[in-house]
Amino acid sequence: MNDRLANRLKERRAELGLTQSELADLCTVSRKTINTVENGVFVPSTLLALKLASALGLSVEELFWIEH
Amino acid sequence: MGYRPAPDFDRPDAQSVQRSRRMATWLIPLIVVQQGTVIFGQHSDRLTQLLATIAWITVSLAMLWILLGLPMRWLSERDQAIVNDERSKSVGRDAAAWGMAALILIASAMMIARLFVPLDPGIAIYGLVNSALIVAILRYGWLNRAEPGEDE
Repeated sequence: MNDRLANRLKERRAELGLTQSELADLCTVSRKTINTVENGVFVPSTLLALKLASALGLSVEELFWIEH
Repeated sequence: MGYRPAPDFDRPDAQSVQRSRRMATWLIPLIVVQQGTVIFGQHSDRLTQLLATIAWITVSLAMLWILLGLPMRWLSERDQAIVNDERSKSVGRDAAAWGMAALILIASAMMIARLFVPLDPGIAIYGLVNSALIVAILRYGWLNRAEPGEDE
């Protein structure tokens, strides 16, 4: 099984006019963390996924989904 | 007469700590190798060896500090949370696993090698411990390398 966590972090961030640094500040993580989550390199914990979704005004399911 | 408030410009923040940590991970292995040559050098006197051993212990503890993501009390609570966020901890765990794997492989190789070549116990311990630590710290450095610019 090659399940992968996809996300629309970058698109939503662009819609809100936020930079990676600003989003990182909102979630109290490093910009590298935002960068690696966006690129699918790092899979965030439920806690961080909820923080990201809240900062971007979406539900977790709208922000993240599983790609088969 | 009032006291002048402490200047902010030289206070470390999350970004400066991340930068220096990134640099340290590439420099530490070189320092360890250099100290090894001093500790086991044939011309080093007792005092030089003692100083080099203390320096080696200090550097090794710094490596552990980085790998374990121990708290840095001189930073604000917010900066500490950023420096040791969940990705950073995950990178530390990954690097520690690599270090453990290196320890097992190098120890196995040494156990075989000692059947053919006489090994000095001091050099063997130094080589084993440091090889594992260097593998871990290089893995940490690689995973923690500078991120691309915004939106790349």
